[in-house]
Amino acid sequence: MRDDDIVNFDEIARELRKPVRVNRSFNERVMDSVLRLPRHARARLWKRLTTPRTVTITPLVWGLAAASLLLFASLGVIHAKEDLHRAAQPIAKALFATPVAATSRAQSVQFVLVAPDAKKVAVVGDFNGWDASHVAYQAQQRGGGVWSVTAPVPVGHHRYSFVVDDSLWVADPTAPRVIDTDYGLPNSAIVVEDDK
Amino acid sequence: MEASSDAAIVARVLRGDAEAFRGLVDRYRDQYARYALHMLGNQEDAEEALQDAFTRAYRALPRCEDPERFGAWLFRILVNRCRTAGTRRGRRARTFVADEAALLGASEEHPEDRAAWREEIDRAVHRLRPEQREAFLLKYVEELGYDEMSQLTGVGVSALKMRVMRACERLRDLLSEVHSA
Amino acid sequence: MSAGLRTLVALALVARAASGQDPRLAQRLDKPTYVAVNAIVDSARVAKLPTAPLVDKALEGAAKGSDGQKIVSAVHLLSVRMAASRRALGSNATGDEIKAAATALGAGLSARDLARIRTASGKRPVAMPLAVAIDLIGRDVPVATATSLVIQLERSGVKDADFALFQRNVRADIDRGADPTVAATTRARGLVLRSGSAAPKPSE
Repeated sequence: MRDDDIVNFDEIARELRKPVRVNRSFNERVMDSVLRLPRHARARLWKRLTTPRTVTITPLVWGLAAASLLLFASLGVIHAKEDLHRAAQPIAKALFATPVAATSRAQSVQFVLVAPDAKKVAVVGDFNGWDASHVAYQAQQRGGGVWSVTAPVPVGHHRYSFVVDDSLWVADPTAPRVIDTDYGLPNSAIVVEDDK
Repeated sequence: MEASSDAAIVARVLRGDAEAFRGLVDRYRDQYARYALHMLGNQEDAEEALQDAFTRAYRALPRCEDPERFGAWLFRILVNRCRTAGTRRGRRARTFVADEAALLGASEEHPEDRAAWREEIDRAVHRLRPEQREAFLLKYVEELGYDEMSQLTGVGVSALKMRVMRACERLRDLLSEVHSA
Repeated sequence: MSAGLRTLVALALVARAASGQDPRLAQRLDKPTYVAVNAIVDSARVAKLPTAPLVDKALEGAAKGSDGQKIVSAVHLLSVRMAASRRALGSNATGDEIKAAATALGAGLSARDLARIRTASGKRPVAMPLAVAIDLIGRDVPVATATSLVIQLERSGVKDADFALFQRNVRADIDRGADPTVAATTRARGLVLRSGSAAPKPSE
Protein backbone atom coordinates (compact mmCIF):
# COMPACT_ATOMS: atom_id res chain seq x y z
CA MET A 1 0.00 0.00 0.00
CA ARG A 2 1.43 3.39 -0.99
CA ASP A 3 1.98 5.67 1.98
CA ASP A 4 0.69 8.72 0.16
CA ASP A 5 -2.67 7.09 -0.55
CA ILE A 6 -3.23 6.64 3.17
CA VAL A 7 -2.91 10.26 4.07
CA ASN A 8 -5.84 12.10 2.60
CA PHE A 9 -6.05 15.55 4.16
CA ASP A 10 -9.63 16.16 3.19
CA GLU A 11 -10.58 13.01 4.98
CA ILE A 12 -8.54 14.00 8.00
CA ALA A 13 -10.19 17.40 7.98
CA ARG A 14 -13.67 15.84 7.74
CA GLU A 15 -12.79 13.64 10.68
CA LEU A 16 -11.56 16.54 12.75
CA ARG A 17 -14.63 18.59 11.94
CA LYS A 18 -16.86 16.12 13.70
CA PRO A 19 -18.57 17.45 16.81
CA VAL A 20 -16.79 17.07 20.13
CA ARG A 21 -18.30 16.46 23.52
CA VAL A 22 -18.54 19.45 25.83
CA ASN A 23 -19.38 19.12 29.52
CA ARG A 24 -23.06 19.81 30.14
CA SER A 25 -22.16 22.29 32.87
CA PHE A 26 -19.95 24.35 30.54
CA ASN A 27 -22.56 26.96 29.68
CA GLU A 28 -23.44 27.41 33.33
CA ARG A 29 -19.80 27.84 34.29
CA VAL A 30 -19.34 30.52 31.65
CA MET A 31 -22.48 32.37 32.70
CA ASP A 32 -21.49 32.10 36.37
CA SER A 33 -18.21 33.86 35.68
CA VAL A 34 -19.86 36.39 33.36
CA LEU A 35 -22.59 37.27 35.84
CA ARG A 36 -19.97 37.86 38.54
CA LEU A 37 -18.50 40.65 36.42
CA PRO A 38 -19.88 44.20 36.45
CA ARG A 39 -22.74 44.58 34.02
CA HIS A 40 -22.22 46.73 30.98
CA ALA A 41 -24.30 49.82 31.48
CA ARG A 42 -24.64 52.51 28.88
CA ALA A 43 -21.39 51.51 27.20
CA ARG A 44 -23.09 52.01 23.87
CA LEU A 45 -24.15 55.44 24.95
CA TRP A 46 -20.53 56.25 25.64
CA LYS A 47 -19.59 55.03 22.16
CA ARG A 48 -22.44 57.04 20.66
CA LEU A 49 -21.36 60.12 22.52
CA THR A 50 -17.73 59.83 21.50
CA THR A 51 -18.32 58.93 17.84
CA PRO A 52 -18.29 62.06 15.64
CA ARG A 53 -21.59 62.66 13.85
CA THR A 54 -22.95 65.26 11.46
CA VAL A 55 -25.77 67.19 13.05
CA THR A 56 -28.24 69.25 11.03
CA ILE A 57 -29.81 72.22 12.77
CA THR A 58 -32.90 73.87 11.28
CA PRO A 59 -33.37 77.68 11.33
CA LEU A 60 -36.13 77.26 13.92
CA VAL A 61 -33.77 75.44 16.28
CA TRP A 62 -31.11 78.12 15.72
CA GLY A 63 -33.66 80.78 16.59
CA LEU A 64 -34.72 79.00 19.77
CA ALA A 65 -31.09 78.48 20.77
CA ALA A 66 -30.32 82.17 20.26
CA ALA A 67 -33.36 83.15 22.31
CA SER A 68 -32.31 80.81 25.15
CA LEU A 69 -28.82 82.31 25.14
CA LEU A 70 -30.25 85.82 25.44
CA LEU A 71 -32.46 84.67 28.29
CA PHE A 72 -29.59 83.05 30.21
CA ALA A 73 -27.32 86.02 29.53
CA SER A 74 -29.83 88.39 31.06
CA LEU A 75 -30.34 86.08 34.04
CA GLY A 76 -26.57 86.05 34.41
CA VAL A 77 -26.45 89.84 34.64
CA ILE A 78 -29.12 89.80 37.34
CA HIS A 79 -27.14 87.31 39.42
CA ALA A 80 -23.71 88.82 38.71
CA LYS A 81 -23.59 90.93 41.82
CA GLU A 82 -24.35 87.94 44.05
CA ASP A 83 -21.63 85.89 42.37
CA LEU A 84 -18.93 88.55 42.58
CA HIS A 85 -17.73 87.48 45.97
CA ARG A 86 -17.27 83.94 44.76
CA ALA A 87 -15.38 85.04 41.63
CA ALA A 88 -12.04 85.57 43.40
CA GLN A 89 -11.67 81.88 44.38
CA PRO A 90 -11.15 80.43 40.90
CA ILE A 91 -8.58 83.17 40.20
CA ALA A 92 -6.45 82.19 43.20
CA LYS A 93 -6.68 78.55 42.22
CA ALA A 94 -5.73 79.34 38.63
CA LEU A 95 -2.65 81.22 39.87
CA PHE A 96 -1.31 78.10 41.52
CA ALA A 97 -2.53 75.52 39.08
CA THR A 98 0.25 73.59 37.44
CA PRO A 99 1.09 75.54 34.31
CA VAL A 100 0.60 72.48 32.15
CA ALA A 101 1.11 73.94 28.72
CA ALA A 102 3.99 76.14 29.82
CA THR A 103 6.28 73.37 31.06
CA SER A 104 6.11 70.97 28.10
CA ARG A 105 4.07 70.10 25.06
CA ALA A 106 0.56 69.15 26.13
CA GLN A 107 -2.02 67.15 24.23
CA SER A 108 -5.78 67.16 24.68
CA VAL A 109 -6.85 63.93 26.33
CA GLN A 110 -10.41 62.82 26.88
CA PHE A 111 -11.18 61.17 30.21
CA VAL A 112 -14.44 59.28 30.55
CA LEU A 113 -16.02 57.62 33.56
CA VAL A 114 -19.39 55.95 33.90
CA ALA A 115 -20.71 56.89 37.33
CA PRO A 116 -24.50 57.08 37.32
CA ASP A 117 -24.84 58.03 41.00
CA ALA A 118 -22.13 60.68 41.06
CA LYS A 119 -22.81 64.36 41.65
CA LYS A 120 -19.30 65.47 40.76
CA VAL A 121 -16.39 63.86 38.94
CA ALA A 122 -12.91 65.32 38.63
CA VAL A 123 -9.70 64.07 37.06
CA VAL A 124 -6.62 64.41 39.28
CA GLY A 125 -3.06 63.48 38.52
CA ASP A 126 0.55 64.45 38.53
CA PHE A 127 -0.25 66.92 35.75
CA ASN A 128 -2.53 69.08 37.89
CA GLY A 129 -1.17 68.68 41.40
CA TRP A 130 -3.84 66.11 42.26
CA ASP A 131 -6.21 69.02 42.68
CA ALA A 132 -9.83 67.87 42.54
CA SER A 133 -11.04 71.44 42.24
CA HIS A 134 -8.85 72.35 39.26
CA VAL A 135 -11.21 74.09 36.88
CA ALA A 136 -9.94 72.53 33.68
CA TYR A 137 -10.31 68.96 34.91
CA GLN A 138 -13.91 68.92 36.08
CA ALA A 139 -15.91 66.35 34.14
CA GLN A 140 -19.31 67.22 32.76
CA GLN A 141 -22.38 65.00 32.89
CA ARG A 142 -23.21 63.81 29.39
CA GLY A 143 -26.31 61.86 30.27
CA GLY A 144 -26.89 58.27 31.26
CA GLY A 145 -24.29 58.35 34.00
CA VAL A 146 -21.46 59.20 31.60
CA TRP A 147 -18.99 61.88 32.73
CA SER A 148 -16.25 63.24 30.53
CA VAL A 149 -13.72 66.01 30.23
CA THR A 150 -11.14 66.82 27.59
CA ALA A 151 -8.15 68.47 29.18
CA PRO A 152 -4.46 69.14 28.53
CA VAL A 153 -1.93 66.56 29.67
CA PRO A 154 1.78 66.99 28.98
CA VAL A 155 3.54 64.53 26.72
CA GLY A 156 4.99 61.71 28.78
CA HIS A 157 4.09 59.14 31.38
CA HIS A 158 1.58 60.16 34.04
CA ARG A 159 -0.40 58.84 36.97
CA TYR A 160 -3.98 59.91 37.51
CA SER A 161 -7.30 58.95 38.99
CA PHE A 162 -10.92 60.05 39.11
CA VAL A 163 -12.32 61.60 42.27
CA VAL A 164 -16.07 61.16 42.60
CA ASP A 165 -18.02 63.52 44.87
CA ASP A 166 -14.76 64.81 46.38
CA SER A 167 -14.44 61.61 48.37
CA LEU A 168 -14.24 58.44 46.30
CA TRP A 169 -11.06 57.62 44.36
CA VAL A 170 -11.76 55.53 41.29
CA ALA A 171 -9.10 54.19 38.96
CA ASP A 172 -9.86 54.40 35.26
CA PRO A 173 -11.27 50.96 34.37
CA THR A 174 -9.95 51.28 30.82
CA ALA A 175 -6.36 52.16 31.73
CA PRO A 176 -3.54 50.10 33.21
CA ARG A 177 -3.07 50.33 36.95
CA VAL A 178 0.02 51.79 38.48
CA ILE A 179 1.63 49.61 41.10
CA ASP A 180 1.48 52.31 43.71
CA THR A 181 1.47 51.24 47.33
CA ASP A 182 2.26 54.60 48.87
CA TYR A 183 -1.24 55.69 49.80
CA GLY A 184 -3.37 52.62 49.34
CA LEU A 185 -5.69 54.17 46.76
CA PRO A 186 -5.64 53.23 43.08
CA ASN A 187 -3.94 55.18 40.33
CA SER A 188 -4.10 54.70 36.62
CA ALA A 189 -1.34 55.27 34.12
CA ILE A 190 -1.48 57.15 30.87
CA VAL A 191 1.18 57.71 28.27
CA VAL A 192 0.61 60.79 26.17
CA GLU A 193 2.42 60.88 22.89
CA ASP A 194 3.51 63.89 20.96
CA ASP A 195 1.36 64.54 17.93
CA LYS A 196 4.23 65.88 15.84
CA MET B 1 -38.03 32.70 20.03
CA GLU B 2 -36.49 33.87 16.76
CA ALA B 3 -32.73 33.83 16.48
CA SER B 4 -31.05 37.19 17.07
CA SER B 5 -27.97 38.31 15.16
CA ASP B 6 -24.67 38.61 17.00
CA ALA B 7 -24.94 42.39 16.83
CA ALA B 8 -28.41 42.33 18.38
CA ILE B 9 -27.28 40.16 21.28
CA VAL B 10 -24.14 42.26 21.81
CA ALA B 11 -26.33 45.36 21.91
CA ARG B 12 -28.55 43.83 24.57
CA VAL B 13 -25.59 42.78 26.69
CA LEU B 14 -24.11 46.26 26.45
CA ARG B 15 -27.38 47.72 27.63
CA GLY B 16 -27.03 45.70 30.81
CA ASP B 17 -28.73 42.41 29.93
CA ALA B 18 -25.85 40.12 30.88
CA GLU B 19 -28.05 37.02 30.60
CA ALA B 20 -28.35 37.64 26.89
CA PHE B 21 -24.66 36.70 26.56
CA ARG B 22 -25.83 33.09 26.92
CA GLY B 23 -27.08 33.29 23.33
CA LEU B 24 -23.55 33.89 22.11
CA VAL B 25 -22.16 31.09 24.27
CA ASP B 26 -24.72 28.69 22.80
CA ARG B 27 -23.94 29.82 19.30
CA TYR B 28 -20.17 29.45 19.38
CA ARG B 29 -19.45 26.89 22.05
CA ASP B 30 -19.37 23.73 19.94
CA GLN B 31 -17.35 25.05 17.04
CA TYR B 32 -14.74 26.67 19.22
CA ALA B 33 -14.63 23.79 21.70
CA ARG B 34 -13.62 21.65 18.77
CA TYR B 35 -10.77 23.99 17.84
CA ALA B 36 -9.59 24.30 21.44
CA LEU B 37 -9.67 20.55 21.91
CA HIS B 38 -7.58 19.84 18.82
CA MET B 39 -5.13 22.59 19.76
CA LEU B 40 -4.71 21.61 23.38
CA GLY B 41 -5.29 17.87 23.21
CA ASN B 42 -7.52 17.36 26.21
CA GLN B 43 -11.02 18.33 27.22
CA GLU B 44 -10.16 19.96 30.52
CA ASP B 45 -7.65 22.39 29.04
CA ALA B 46 -9.89 23.07 26.06
CA GLU B 47 -12.91 23.92 28.20
CA GLU B 48 -10.81 26.10 30.48
CA ALA B 49 -9.38 28.02 27.53
CA LEU B 50 -12.81 28.42 25.97
CA GLN B 51 -14.42 29.55 29.22
CA ASP B 52 -11.60 32.05 29.67
CA ALA B 53 -12.11 33.32 26.12
CA PHE B 54 -15.83 33.85 26.65
CA THR B 55 -15.21 35.68 29.93
CA ARG B 56 -12.59 37.93 28.35
CA ALA B 57 -14.90 38.60 25.42
CA TYR B 58 -17.67 39.62 27.79
CA ARG B 59 -15.33 41.93 29.67
CA ALA B 60 -13.96 43.51 26.52
CA LEU B 61 -17.32 43.68 24.74
CA PRO B 62 -17.50 47.49 24.56
CA ARG B 63 -14.31 47.33 22.51
CA CYS B 64 -15.71 44.89 19.95
CA GLU B 65 -15.56 47.11 16.89
CA ASP B 66 -17.80 45.04 14.63
CA PRO B 67 -20.47 43.27 16.67
CA GLU B 68 -21.80 41.65 13.49
CA ARG B 69 -18.57 39.68 13.44
CA PHE B 70 -18.48 38.87 17.14
CA GLY B 71 -17.66 35.26 16.30
CA ALA B 72 -14.43 36.14 14.53
CA TRP B 73 -13.46 38.50 17.33
CA LEU B 74 -14.15 35.82 19.94
CA PHE B 75 -12.16 33.33 17.91
CA ARG B 76 -9.13 35.60 17.93
CA ILE B 77 -9.35 35.74 21.72
CA LEU B 78 -9.60 31.95 21.85
CA VAL B 79 -6.63 31.46 19.51
CA ASN B 80 -4.56 33.59 21.89
CA ARG B 81 -5.84 31.75 24.94
CA CYS B 82 -4.86 28.45 23.38
CA ARG B 83 -1.37 29.77 22.65
CA THR B 84 -0.94 30.81 26.27
CA ALA B 85 -2.39 27.57 27.62
CA GLY B 86 -0.06 25.62 25.38
CA THR B 87 3.07 27.43 26.55
CA ARG B 88 2.05 27.43 30.18
CA ARG B 89 1.16 23.78 30.46
CA GLY B 90 3.47 22.15 27.95
CA ARG B 91 2.47 18.74 29.13
CA ARG B 92 1.62 15.78 27.02
CA ALA B 93 -2.02 15.00 27.71
CA ARG B 94 -4.18 12.14 26.59
CA THR B 95 -5.93 12.91 23.37
CA PHE B 96 -9.65 12.96 23.34
CA VAL B 97 -11.63 10.84 20.99
CA ALA B 98 -14.59 12.50 19.33
CA ASP B 99 -18.15 11.70 20.26
CA GLU B 100 -18.62 8.05 19.49
CA ALA B 101 -22.12 8.43 18.22
CA ALA B 102 -20.91 10.85 15.59
CA LEU B 103 -18.12 8.48 14.67
CA LEU B 104 -20.33 5.48 14.34
CA GLY B 105 -22.98 7.24 12.31
CA ALA B 106 -20.60 8.39 9.60
CA SER B 107 -18.72 5.32 8.49
CA GLU B 108 -18.95 1.93 6.86
CA GLU B 109 -15.80 0.68 8.49
CA HIS B 110 -15.74 -1.40 11.60
CA PRO B 111 -16.21 0.94 14.54
CA GLU B 112 -13.04 -0.27 16.20
CA ASP B 113 -10.96 0.48 13.13
CA ARG B 114 -12.56 3.87 12.82
CA ALA B 115 -11.92 4.77 16.45
CA ALA B 116 -8.31 3.64 16.19
CA TRP B 117 -7.78 5.68 13.04
CA ARG B 118 -9.31 8.67 14.72
CA GLU B 119 -7.01 8.31 17.67
CA GLU B 120 -4.02 8.18 15.33
CA ILE B 121 -5.09 11.41 13.69
CA ASP B 122 -5.56 13.13 17.04
CA ARG B 123 -2.18 11.94 18.23
CA ALA B 124 -0.45 13.03 15.06
CA VAL B 125 -2.08 16.45 15.11
CA HIS B 126 -1.01 16.89 18.68
CA ARG B 127 2.56 16.02 17.79
CA LEU B 128 2.76 18.95 15.42
CA ARG B 129 4.55 22.03 16.62
CA PRO B 130 1.96 24.42 18.12
CA GLU B 131 2.21 27.05 15.38
CA GLN B 132 1.91 24.38 12.68
CA ARG B 133 -1.01 22.75 14.45
CA GLU B 134 -2.72 26.11 14.76
CA ALA B 135 -2.27 26.89 11.05
CA PHE B 136 -3.37 23.41 10.01
CA LEU B 137 -6.53 23.50 12.11
CA LEU B 138 -7.47 26.97 10.94
CA LYS B 139 -6.97 26.06 7.30
CA TYR B 140 -8.33 22.53 7.12
CA VAL B 141 -10.75 22.22 10.01
CA GLU B 142 -12.05 25.75 10.38
CA GLU B 143 -11.71 26.25 6.61
CA LEU B 144 -10.53 29.82 6.80
CA GLY B 145 -8.84 31.68 3.98
CA TYR B 146 -5.25 32.78 4.44
CA ASP B 147 -6.24 36.43 4.79
CA GLU B 148 -8.67 35.57 7.56
CA MET B 149 -6.06 33.42 9.22
CA SER B 150 -3.60 36.26 9.04
CA GLN B 151 -6.05 38.64 10.72
CA LEU B 152 -6.77 36.10 13.38
CA THR B 153 -3.21 35.17 14.24
CA GLY B 154 -1.23 38.28 13.38
CA VAL B 155 1.06 36.10 11.24
CA GLY B 156 1.77 36.94 7.60
CA VAL B 157 0.15 34.96 4.79
CA SER B 158 3.37 33.45 3.42
CA ALA B 159 4.46 32.35 6.89
CA LEU B 160 1.05 30.74 7.37
CA LYS B 161 1.28 28.91 4.07
CA MET B 162 4.69 27.60 5.06
CA ARG B 163 3.32 26.39 8.39
CA VAL B 164 0.39 24.62 6.75
CA MET B 165 2.73 22.97 4.26
CA ARG B 166 5.10 21.80 7.00
CA ALA B 167 2.16 20.60 9.07
CA CYS B 168 0.91 18.50 6.16
CA GLU B 169 4.38 17.06 5.53
CA ARG B 170 4.76 16.16 9.18
CA LEU B 171 1.30 14.63 9.39
CA ARG B 172 2.02 12.63 6.28
CA ASP B 173 5.24 11.30 7.88
CA LEU B 174 3.57 10.53 11.21
CA LEU B 175 0.54 8.82 9.75
CA SER B 176 2.57 6.89 7.19
CA GLU B 177 4.78 5.54 10.01
CA VAL B 178 1.67 4.13 11.62
CA HIS B 179 0.66 2.23 8.55
CA SER B 180 4.03 0.93 7.62
CA ALA B 181 4.61 -0.39 11.16
CA MET C 1 -12.53 86.73 53.31
CA SER C 2 -12.83 89.97 51.30
CA ALA C 3 -11.70 90.22 47.71
CA GLY C 4 -8.91 92.62 48.65
CA LEU C 5 -7.49 90.33 51.32
CA ARG C 6 -7.66 87.38 48.96
CA THR C 7 -5.57 89.30 46.44
CA LEU C 8 -2.96 90.03 49.10
CA VAL C 9 -2.77 86.38 50.09
CA ALA C 10 -2.47 85.43 46.42
CA LEU C 11 0.41 87.87 45.92
CA ALA C 12 2.20 86.63 49.02
CA LEU C 13 1.93 83.05 47.89
CA VAL C 14 3.23 83.96 44.45
CA ALA C 15 6.21 85.64 46.08
CA ARG C 16 6.92 82.53 48.13
CA ALA C 17 6.71 80.41 45.00
CA ALA C 18 9.34 82.58 43.36
CA SER C 19 11.71 81.78 46.25
CA GLY C 20 11.59 78.05 45.42
CA GLN C 21 9.06 76.73 47.88
CA ASP C 22 5.89 75.37 46.42
CA PRO C 23 2.99 77.31 47.96
CA ARG C 24 0.59 74.42 47.39
CA LEU C 25 2.47 72.42 50.01
CA ALA C 26 1.81 75.10 52.60
CA GLN C 27 -1.83 75.25 51.61
CA ARG C 28 -2.44 71.53 51.75
CA LEU C 29 -0.14 70.06 54.42
CA ASP C 30 -0.24 70.54 58.17
CA LYS C 31 2.75 72.34 59.65
CA PRO C 32 4.87 69.36 60.82
CA THR C 33 4.36 67.49 57.56
CA TYR C 34 5.12 70.63 55.56
CA VAL C 35 8.37 71.15 57.46
CA ALA C 36 9.46 67.51 56.99
CA VAL C 37 8.56 67.41 53.30
CA ASN C 38 10.28 70.72 52.65
CA ALA C 39 13.43 69.38 54.25
CA ILE C 40 13.42 66.39 51.89
CA VAL C 41 12.74 68.64 48.91
CA ASP C 42 15.57 70.98 49.91
CA SER C 43 18.01 68.06 50.25
CA ALA C 44 17.02 66.83 46.82
CA ARG C 45 17.54 70.30 45.38
CA VAL C 46 21.02 70.47 46.91
CA ALA C 47 21.81 67.02 45.52
CA LYS C 48 20.59 68.27 42.11
CA LEU C 49 17.79 65.72 41.97
CA PRO C 50 14.43 66.73 40.47
CA THR C 51 12.12 68.22 43.11
CA ALA C 52 8.84 68.34 41.19
CA PRO C 53 8.14 64.61 41.61
CA LEU C 54 8.63 64.98 45.38
CA VAL C 55 6.21 67.88 45.57
CA ASP C 56 3.78 65.94 43.42
CA LYS C 57 4.04 62.90 45.69
CA ALA C 58 3.23 65.07 48.72
CA LEU C 59 0.28 66.70 46.95
CA GLU C 60 -1.03 63.28 45.98
CA GLY C 61 -0.93 62.17 49.59
CA ALA C 62 -2.67 65.31 50.75
CA ALA C 63 -5.35 64.91 48.11
CA LYS C 64 -5.91 61.32 49.20
CA GLY C 65 -6.31 62.37 52.82
CA SER C 66 -3.27 60.42 53.98
CA ASP C 67 -1.83 61.18 57.39
CA GLY C 68 1.34 63.25 57.59
CA GLN C 69 3.56 60.32 58.49
CA LYS C 70 2.59 58.37 55.37
CA ILE C 71 3.15 61.43 53.20
CA VAL C 72 6.61 62.01 54.63
CA SER C 73 7.46 58.29 54.19
CA ALA C 74 6.29 58.29 50.60
CA VAL C 75 8.21 61.44 49.72
CA HIS C 76 11.31 60.11 51.47
CA LEU C 77 11.04 56.76 49.66
CA LEU C 78 10.78 58.54 46.33
CA SER C 79 13.84 60.66 47.07
CA VAL C 80 15.78 57.51 47.97
CA ARG C 81 14.64 55.86 44.72
CA MET C 82 15.65 58.90 42.70
CA ALA C 83 19.12 58.87 44.25
CA ALA C 84 19.42 55.14 43.54
CA SER C 85 18.25 55.78 39.98
CA ARG C 86 20.95 58.33 39.41
CA ARG C 87 23.59 55.98 40.77
CA ALA C 88 22.36 53.22 38.46
CA LEU C 89 21.96 55.40 35.36
CA GLY C 90 25.04 57.55 35.87
CA SER C 91 25.52 61.16 36.90
CA ASN C 92 24.53 62.41 33.45
CA ALA C 93 20.98 61.10 33.84
CA THR C 94 18.38 63.74 33.03
CA GLY C 95 15.48 64.68 35.30
CA ASP C 96 13.05 62.76 33.09
CA GLU C 97 15.22 59.67 33.21
CA ILE C 98 15.56 59.84 36.99
CA LYS C 99 11.81 60.31 37.37
CA ALA C 100 11.03 57.37 35.10
CA ALA C 101 13.67 55.19 36.75
CA ALA C 102 12.33 55.93 40.22
CA THR C 103 8.87 54.87 39.07
CA ALA C 104 10.39 51.78 37.52
CA LEU C 105 12.04 50.87 40.82
CA GLY C 106 8.63 51.23 42.43
CA ALA C 107 7.17 48.94 39.78
CA GLY C 108 9.62 46.17 40.63
CA LEU C 109 12.74 46.76 38.54
CA SER C 110 16.01 46.53 40.41
CA ALA C 111 18.94 48.94 40.28
CA ARG C 112 20.76 46.27 38.31
CA ASP C 113 17.93 46.24 35.75
CA LEU C 114 18.29 50.00 35.39
CA ALA C 115 22.03 49.66 34.86
CA ARG C 116 21.45 46.95 32.24
CA ILE C 117 18.97 49.15 30.40
CA ARG C 118 21.48 51.98 30.48
CA THR C 119 24.22 49.73 29.11
CA ALA C 120 21.95 48.43 26.37
CA SER C 121 20.95 51.96 25.39
CA GLY C 122 24.44 53.36 25.14
CA LYS C 123 24.17 57.11 24.72
CA ARG C 124 20.44 57.07 23.88
CA PRO C 125 18.04 58.39 26.54
CA VAL C 126 16.33 55.75 28.63
CA ALA C 127 13.17 57.60 29.68
CA MET C 128 11.13 56.08 26.85
CA PRO C 129 12.23 52.44 27.29
CA LEU C 130 11.63 52.78 31.03
CA ALA C 131 8.16 54.20 30.42
CA VAL C 132 7.43 51.28 28.12
CA ALA C 133 8.62 48.77 30.73
CA ILE C 134 6.43 50.42 33.38
CA ASP C 135 3.44 50.38 31.05
CA LEU C 136 3.92 46.70 30.25
CA ILE C 137 4.17 45.83 33.94
CA GLY C 138 1.00 47.82 34.56
CA ARG C 139 -0.69 45.63 31.98
CA ASP C 140 0.30 42.45 33.80
CA VAL C 141 3.43 41.52 31.88
CA PRO C 142 5.81 40.03 34.49
CA VAL C 143 8.61 42.38 35.54
CA ALA C 144 11.39 40.08 34.32
CA THR C 145 9.75 39.72 30.91
CA ALA C 146 9.09 43.43 30.50
CA THR C 147 12.66 44.27 31.49
CA SER C 148 14.15 41.66 29.23
CA LEU C 149 12.09 42.73 26.22
CA VAL C 150 13.01 46.38 26.67
CA ILE C 151 16.69 45.49 26.93
CA GLN C 152 16.48 43.40 23.78
CA LEU C 153 14.78 46.24 21.94
CA GLU C 154 17.40 48.71 23.12
CA ARG C 155 20.21 46.39 22.03
CA SER C 156 18.61 46.23 18.60
CA GLY C 157 18.78 50.01 18.34
CA VAL C 158 15.02 50.58 18.35
CA LYS C 159 14.22 54.30 18.31
CA ASP C 160 11.76 56.17 20.53
CA ALA C 161 9.18 56.44 17.73
CA ASP C 162 9.25 52.67 17.26
CA PHE C 163 9.00 52.18 21.01
CA ALA C 164 5.88 54.31 20.99
CA LEU C 165 4.42 52.27 18.13
CA PHE C 166 5.35 49.05 19.94
CA GLN C 167 3.53 50.28 23.03
CA ARG C 168 0.41 51.22 21.04
CA ASN C 169 0.36 47.89 19.24
CA VAL C 170 0.75 45.88 22.42
CA ARG C 171 -2.05 47.87 24.02
CA ALA C 172 -4.29 47.27 21.03
CA ASP C 173 -3.52 43.55 21.05
CA ILE C 174 -4.32 43.27 24.75
CA ASP C 175 -7.55 45.20 24.21
CA ARG C 176 -8.49 42.64 21.59
CA GLY C 177 -8.05 39.86 24.09
CA ALA C 178 -4.43 38.82 23.64
CA ASP C 179 -2.44 37.61 26.60
CA PRO C 180 -0.21 40.52 27.66
CA THR C 181 3.04 38.52 27.70
CA VAL C 182 2.34 36.95 24.33
CA ALA C 183 1.35 40.31 22.85
CA ALA C 184 4.48 42.04 24.14
CA THR C 185 6.83 39.22 23.11
CA THR C 186 5.26 38.88 19.66
CA ARG C 187 5.41 42.58 18.91
CA ALA C 188 8.94 42.85 20.25
CA ARG C 189 10.03 39.95 18.06
CA GLY C 190 8.62 41.70 15.00
CA LEU C 191 10.36 44.93 15.86
CA VAL C 192 13.71 43.27 16.48
CA LEU C 193 13.48 41.28 13.25
CA ARG C 194 12.76 44.46 11.33
CA SER C 195 15.84 46.05 12.86
CA GLY C 196 17.90 43.06 11.75
CA SER C 197 18.88 41.39 15.03
CA ALA C 198 18.14 37.99 16.55
CA ALA C 199 14.62 37.48 17.90
CA PRO C 200 14.11 38.23 21.62
CA LYS C 201 13.19 35.55 24.12
CA PRO C 202 10.59 36.23 26.83
CA SER C 203 13.18 35.97 29.60
CA GLU C 204 16.90 35.78 29.72
